Amino acid sequence: MDQRVVDFISALRARGVRISLAESIDAMRCVEVAGIADKSFFRSALRASLVKEPRDLPTFDEMFPRYFGVEMPPPLQQPGGGMSPEDREKLAQMLEQMLASMTPEQLRRLFEAMMTGQGMSNSQMRQFLNEHTSAMQMTTGFQPWATRRAMRELQFDRLEQLLQELLDRLREAGVSEEALQQMAEAARENREALAQQIGQEVGNGLLQHDAEERRRRPAEDLQDRAFDELAHQDVDDMRTVINRLAAQLRTRIALRQKRASKGILDAKSTIRANLRYAGVPLDVRHRRKHLKPRITVICDVSGSMRAVTGFMLMLVYALQDQISRTRPFVYYRTIADVQADFQQLRPEEAIRVVPERVKGGPWQTSLGACLATFTRDHLDAIDRRTTVIFLGDGDDHLSPPNPRDFELIKRRSHRVVWFNPEPPYRWGREDNHMHIYGPLCDAVHHVSNLRQLVAAVDGLFG
Amino acid sequence: MFNAIGEVRTALSAERYIPSDEIATTVFLAEKLGKPILAEGPAGVGKTELAKVWAAATNRELIRLQCYEGLDETKALYEWEYAKQLLYTQLLRDKLNDLLAGVTTLAEAADRLASEEDVFFSSRFMLPRPLLKAVTSERPVTLLIDEIDRADAEFEAFLLEVLSDFQVSVPELGTIRARHQPMVVLTSNNTRELSEALKRRCLYLHIDYPSADQELQIVNLKVPGLPPKLAQQAVEMVQRLRGMDLKKHPSVSETIDWARALLELNARHLDRAVVENTLNVLLKFEGDLQRARRAMIRDESDRSRRERDESGRPRRERDDEGGRYRGN
Repeated sequence: MDQRVVDFISALRARGVRISLAESIDAMRCVEVAGIADKSFFRSALRASLVKEPRDLPTFDEMFPRYFGVEMPPPLQQPGGGMSPEDREKLAQMLEQMLASMTPEQLRRLFEAMMTGQGMSNSQMRQFLNEHTSAMQMTTGFQPWATRRAMRELQFDRLEQLLQELLDRLREAGVSEEALQQMAEAARENREALAQQIGQEVGNGLLQHDAEERRRRPAEDLQDRAFDELAHQDVDDMRTVINRLAAQLRTRIALRQKRASKGILDAKSTIRANLRYAGVPLDVRHRRKHLKPRITVICDVSGSMRAVTGFMLMLVYALQDQISRTRPFVYYRTIADVQADFQQLRPEEAIRVVPERVKGGPWQTSLGACLATFTRDHLDAIDRRTTVIFLGDGDDHLSPPNPRDFELIKRRSHRVVWFNPEPPYRWGREDNHMHIYGPLCDAVHHVSNLRQLVAAVDGLFG
Repeated sequence: MFNAIGEVRTALSAERYIPSDEIATTVFLAEKLGKPILAEGPAGVGKTELAKVWAAATNRELIRLQCYEGLDETKALYEWEYAKQLLYTQLLRDKLNDLLAGVTTLAEAADRLASEEDVFFSSRFMLPRPLLKAVTSERPVTLLIDEIDRADAEFEAFLLEVLSDFQVSVPELGTIRARHQPMVVLTSNNTRELSEALKRRCLYLHIDYPSADQELQIVNLKVPGLPPKLAQQAVEMVQRLRGMDLKKHPSVSETIDWARALLELNARHLDRAVVENTLNVLLKFEGDLQRARRAMIRDESDRSRRERDESGRPRRERDDEGGRYRGN
């Protein structure tokens, strides 16, 4: 049983569940205490000690029946158990003769296992399959297909033929028909069990390949992938990465704020607090600094920028508890205030609908005009404590650069920061006006992947 | 304490808590192996309650440490009682004068004072916080560390010593070892990832929303006066709400609150007016409420249409109730 549990643990590890040595020892102790008589207790015991992440629970639930379930192939039986001693003698003799002259080697071993009832353990079987078939080298494919292929390579279907041959020989030697039938039945059952075992091992092999493949490219790598190289399924993974990063960022910011909360000495409060210590200033009070920023974020939602904008807004809204006020705007050919969308909808949904709030099509970005509209209609979104974040590539296809309104925004705000996913060598080429806006900003960050984006956002909470 | 898993189940049931197999086994193992339990799951499925009933069932005192952002050792472990120390120094001034009588140099005075330092840094002036209380308690206790995911990562690291060896070090006093190993339950709402090291030291228990049968049992147990038919309907309704895409799904504790509300209102069966009036007990966000109401109206119109159909045509198989909401 211990061996089986160890096998199970290594299978879980192969599927990407992180199990330490200490945990596997715990699992053994748990099994010892809980006993193996009741399957549901046994299962709970393993689950409590091995799986520590909710996301690994489905893996556990999938793997458990494979190792401790009804799917275990039945043990092999010895054919010819009901025969008389001399018949059995004949059977052994015939079998030996046949095996001696049988080729190829793998078929001989299978036939031997089938006729003597001495099977192979799972690891032996794995090695056997590794040596004689190509099924274990396959990295992709469905289990039934791979199993069929392995069977073909082993010439599994010849077993029936060989069995018939053996039966004929025994019949000639005068063994009774009844005993032969019994023996054949047992042999066929053995064959089915072997087939099942092969299928299982091939399936495990595929799973292992799959797990190794997955380990080679962990989800964290997405952080370094450029935004425009992201495929659709990656975007889902990104969402989990973003949530995790936001949590990390939050702890970091919270810690920094806790440490930075020691502002200047608050004399009045200190005297009041220390009255009970006879005026000895044991408990020194400080005036708290208000570090939570107000953020106005102005995002480009043109086709090329949509993904970055989505991630940026998602990150900003995941950090709402660290921000005292957020005002989101999106621009394309026109600019729009999208705060209402974010108040009514959840961030993911809001991000989906906001691009429809503005007009524009390919090659119609009009940043200069949008800046003019912004200073005319929305300057109330900026006060001297606001950090203004521009997120865009700085392209402007329809209007001339507008440094005048940009300066106006800068004068009214605490800080202006620009996040640009375009590589710096493109700044200022063709329709790009980054070379004009860039120097006016307090900081410009090049954000081409998630890691850079997170670093840039982290910088906002200085 | 317990010799079989069945006993755990009986003991917890006696405290009016219905444990699943999973919970009973984990509690049994924790009891046998002396390991802490880390209970994770959505809010309001009975994680904290488990600690309470466990303490009650084993007749131990429950010591609770509620975690929050910025929680540190002085709040969790111990603190020196400055005020008391100061008061004692004031009162013992004459004694101190006696002690320092005949001293000529400042250095000598400091030395003499230092030799008496132990008086002021002894357990007399220590204010024990939950962790120290749990470790030094004369009687066996159950320690509940609630919402560990809210505390900072630093605090989590500090907990490791306490959880693996059940001892704490106080620089002035040395290491204090637990007299009785406390049974520890940590709960987490999974708002952030806990460290591997912490998880490794614990038995992991994932408590999810209960199945309809279990929830019905819970409602029957906690709100005994509720008519069985109504309880059945209420549980079905809650289960259906959990299948919907809501900001916050109703928890078990909210189901119980709702059942109590229905009982107070003397409701006979679950009609639209009753649900409209009491839905805010289950759902706490305006958006969720509206969504649930819309689904209910749609549901009703579906039903009336189906009834119309039934009167004319032969009865059709009812389609899956839960599946219809999953898409919106």
